[in-house]
Amino acid sequence: MVTAQTFVGLLPEIVVFLFSMLVLMIGVFSPRATGLTAGLAAFGALATFVTAVVLLAVGFEGSFFGDAYVVDGFALYFKLIVAGSAFFTVLAASRWSGRTGDAPEYLTLILSVAVGAMLLVSMRDLFGVFVAIELATIPSYALVAFDRTRRESAEGGMKYLLTGMIASSILLYGIVLIYGISGSAELADISRTFTGQLSPVALLGMVLLISGFAFKVSAAPFHFWTPDAYQGAPTSAAAFLSVAPKAAIFAVLLRIFLEGMPEAAPSWTAVAAVLAIVTMFIGNLFALRQSNVRRMLAYSSVAHSGYILVAFAALQGGGVERGVQAVLIYSAAYALMNLGAFFVIDLVGEEAKSYNGLFKTRPGVALSMAIFMAALVGIPPLSGFWGKAWIILAGAQSGSILTYVAVGALVINSVLSVPYYFGILRNMAFEEPVKGVEEPTGTGAVKLSVYILAIATTLFLFFIGPLSALAGASGLL
Amino acid sequence: MQQFLDSLNATLPLEGYLVVGAVMFAIGAWGAIIRRNAVVVFMCIELMINAVNLSLVAFADYLPNAGGAGVGYAVLVVAVAAAEVAVGLAIALAVYRSRKTVNVDEINLMKG
Repeated sequence: MVTAQTFVGLLPEIVVFLFSMLVLMIGVFSPRATGLTAGLAAFGALATFVTAVVLLAVGFEGSFFGDAYVVDGFALYFKLIVAGSAFFTVLAASRWSGRTGDAPEYLTLILSVAVGAMLLVSMRDLFGVFVAIELATIPSYALVAFDRTRRESAEGGMKYLLTGMIASSILLYGIVLIYGISGSAELADISRTFTGQLSPVALLGMVLLISGFAFKVSAAPFHFWTPDAYQGAPTSAAAFLSVAPKAAIFAVLLRIFLEGMPEAAPSWTAVAAVLAIVTMFIGNLFALRQSNVRRMLAYSSVAHSGYILVAFAALQGGGVERGVQAVLIYSAAYALMNLGAFFVIDLVGEEAKSYNGLFKTRPGVALSMAIFMAALVGIPPLSGFWGKAWIILAGAQSGSILTYVAVGALVINSVLSVPYYFGILRNMAFEEPVKGVEEPTGTGAVKLSVYILAIATTLFLFFIGPLSALAGASGLL
Repeated sequence: MQQFLDSLNATLPLEGYLVVGAVMFAIGAWGAIIRRNAVVVFMCIELMINAVNLSLVAFADYLPNAGGAGVGYAVLVVAVAAAEVAVGLAIALAVYRSRKTVNVDEINLMKG
């Protein structure tokens, strides 16, 4: 039954959807008004953020459409992350998209991905999960292939599309098998199937489901599309895709695991631990060899998916509460530092050489980049450190040998990742600046978002208290 | 003879549909791996999605309490697949414009 409360629950999605349509229509009727469309898109993302904050502040909770769609603290928290990163992405994309001449389409695609990701975190029905994932992914194929001036863009889009479609069909097969064996796609009914000894069909469905999700979060060995897609994509699109849809997919995977198959925890934590170990090593070892900063950050995002998967492996024994908190805190921390690092690429360039001597020529940008790199390594007290600390704490309480191994691999990998992050730092501090490189014009909005993100990354310490309180009250536990 | 024809009137078992679906899925996956033309790969992926959809419709028909909801899902899946192919063909066209080929082996600007 649809009541007025349903519309309140859907308000963030409704707001962002209306603004995306408004931006698209303005693009149709006055294509030259790039400033207006960028402003409207940014305002729409901000309005969505504020709506979610208000819903969270008044403690709004409820489940709609026959329990298939739920609004709780957990879902609203991830909607905040998605809307926030959409806001910064739109700010950073305004200059680049204005020059392409297709600004309204580009901004509409970003907002569509945001709609999909925000719907996704509220889904309690596996088919709803599938449709929302597709709503978030299909526009992102177009986003990756958007840059017509670079041949890499269409190629990256093609590779992303082919692997993404195969992943979708595998994910769908898993969902259909689980639906077939449980007689319903709702998580509450599924949890009754995943008890005791699992039937082969249920196990196959679970494995296919996890494989599909592993593709979407670029966990190894399903990560090979990530570097090509992120290198080809426009920088702002790569920044957004590596943060918002990924956080939302991790969130819904957490919900499926904890609400849909809590008693099968020994099986899926083991799978998550193995995936996490492989993903961390592959991401970091390949990142070490890159000279293109964008490609390096793509492999780094693979490695960070591995770190979050360690938190999934810790969701057993006494580690469940900490594990959920770790996913929440890591997603926020990662959003801040990774968006910032990608935006700096937009300001400086994607070749490692272009960072030479940046501390002398542009100290503000160089300092921000240094903060993001240190945060990605996990130096205290920057944001990345707190995410990793929470994951290690959760792993220590989980009481499983495999999880301990995964936590050990996380520590080793944090050390492994130091050379490539600090290589940029070394270039910025000790190399001579390249002659004749001029600062791009009209980068005010990008710079502003870089500085805001750098400050937020530095002061993350002060968000930890409220964030972990929020995570504790997130409704999943 | 009449007896044989009457025996054909019995309902097919669920397993029949599932096996056909699984075989179709495997053929699609095999094709998606070995074919080099991007458009043919799209067709193979379509085969995979439709194989899954066949299983879905069969489940929806045989499940006691599903109430036909699965068929509704199947329509959604068809719509999603159509949207994917629409974007996919546009990207294939963009690649063709810049490279004059849609052979996935020759699309190799980025490595490492």
